[in-house]
Amino acid sequence: MSSAREWVERIRVLDLPRPLKVMNVCGGHERSVTMSGMRSALPSSVEIVPGPGCPVCVCPEEDIYQAMQLALREKVTLVTFGDMLRVPVNAPKSEPRSLVEARAAGADIRPIASPLEARRIAQQSDRPVVFFAAGFETTTAPVASLICEGVPDNLTFLLSARLTWPAVAMLLESGESGFDALIAPGHVATVMGPEEWEFVPQTHGIPAAVAAFNAESLLAATWSVLRQKVEGRCFLDNCYQALVRPGGNPLARQQMDQVLEVGDANWRGIGTIPASGLGLRSAYAEMDARVRFPDYNEAGRRRMGQMPPGCDCARVVLGRIYPNQCKLFGKGCDPRHPVGPCMVSDEGACRIWWSGQAA
Amino acid sequence: MCLGIPMQIVDIDEFTARCTAKGVERDVSLFMLQHEALARGDFVVVHVGYAIQKVTPEEAATAWELYDEMIEKAEAIEGSRHA
Ligand code: SF4
Repeated sequence: MSSAREWVERIRVLDLPRPLKVMNVCGGHERSVTMSGMRSALPSSVEIVPGPGCPVCVCPEEDIYQAMQLALREKVTLVTFGDMLRVPVNAPKSEPRSLVEARAAGADIRPIASPLEARRIAQQSDRPVVFFAAGFETTTAPVASLICEGVPDNLTFLLSARLTWPAVAMLLESGESGFDALIAPGHVATVMGPEEWEFVPQTHGIPAAVAAFNAESLLAATWSVLRQKVEGRCFLDNCYQALVRPGGNPLARQQMDQVLEVGDANWRGIGTIPASGLGLRSAYAEMDARVRFPDYNEAGRRRMGQMPPGCDCARVVLGRIYPNQCKLFGKGCDPRHPVGPCMVSDEGACRIWWSGQAA
Repeated sequence: MCLGIPMQIVDIDEFTARCTAKGVERDVSLFMLQHEALARGDFVVVHVGYAIQKVTPEEAATAWELYDEMIEKAEAIEGSRHA
C-alpha cells in the first residue's frame, strides 16, 4: 500500500476541472482527517467537508427529554452510551437540561460502553432498566444482536437508531448537496455492505469510495473519487477491502431485520427524513420503552426538536458550514461548556475541530 | 462511535470471547459472527463489545498504528489543555 505522502502527490498531479468538495459522513473519518493534518497537505482546490456523521448530534431532543423523564419520574435505571450524558435539551432553567443534570437531581443514570453492560446491569437489578440507544448502523447492529440473544424481562429499549445513507440521499435530492464526491463510512459498510452506497454514483452521478480510518486509506479514497471526476466516470470504489465485503456481515443484517423495522425519523434541527430510522418491530413491543412507558413530551414543550438557541449544529451536520463558522465556536462553546451536541460527542465535528486546533 | 478496534482472541466460550489488545482484556460477544469459524489467536474488529468482522493480523496491525497515533495526539492535547 502506498504511503500518505505518495497519495498526496498523486492527488496533486490530478488535473481537476474546478475546486471540488469531498464529503465524509463518519465522525471517525473526520477525526482522522483532522488529526492527521491531511487538509493542509492537500491542494487548496480540494476541500474535505464533514457531513452527517454523528448520531448523538441528530438524536431528537424529545428523546433525550423522554429519557430524562423516565429516569426522574418513572424511577427506572437509565443506561446510555457515555456521549449522550452531556447533550443539552431545551428546558426551563429550573429543570435539568441534560442527563448529567438529571442524575445530579437524583435520577439513576449510568453511562455504558457496550450493550452487554446494559444486560448485566439489568440482570443484577430488580428495578426496570431502560437502555437509551442512539446510533448509526454499526452501533445498532449490536443492540439488535443482544435482543436476538435474549434479555431479562426488566430491560427495555428507547431506540434512537438512524441510518446513514438516507441523510446523504436527502442532501443529494435537495438539489444543493454541497459536495462533489463522497467518502462512505468504513464500519457502517462493514456491517451493512458497500452496496448501500451504490445509489450515489448510479442515481446521482457522484463518485464515491468506502474508506478505512487511516490517512492512507482516506487519501486513497479521496484520490479515487477525484480521479473519477477527472475521467468523467463514476462508480463506488472500495478502499477498505480488508473489512468491507460484498453484503457486509450477513448475520448482523439478519439479526437487525429480525427485530427492527425502518420508518421515517426525526433528525434534530433538520427534520423528518423518510425511511431513516430503525424502531423495534411490534413483535418486540414488550421490550419497547416507547410502548411500555407514557410519553412525557407535551406537544407544547418549548423549542421541541430544535438545537439550542444560537447553535448552528444543524448546518454543521449537513456540511453547510464548517464548525469554526459558528459564531459560538470557541467563544462560549467548547467541550467544557458545550452549547450544542456537536461539541459534546466525540463524533461531533465541532468537538473534533476544537481538539484539532491544539494538535 | 462507529469506530471498531481490532483485538486478538485469547479464549472462546460459546458466544463470548476473551479478547486482548494492547494489554487490555475484554469479554467480547461473537453473536454477530457465528457464521465465521473463529479460533484462539484470530483477530476480530470489535465495536461496543461486539465482534463485527474477522480481520487478518496484518490489517489489525495497520489499524493499531493509526489508533496509537490518535491516542498519543489526544493525550498530548488533553495534557496541554489541563496545564
Ligand atoms: S460550536 Fe457549539 S454552538 Fe456552534 S454549532 Fe458547534 S456545538 Fe453548536
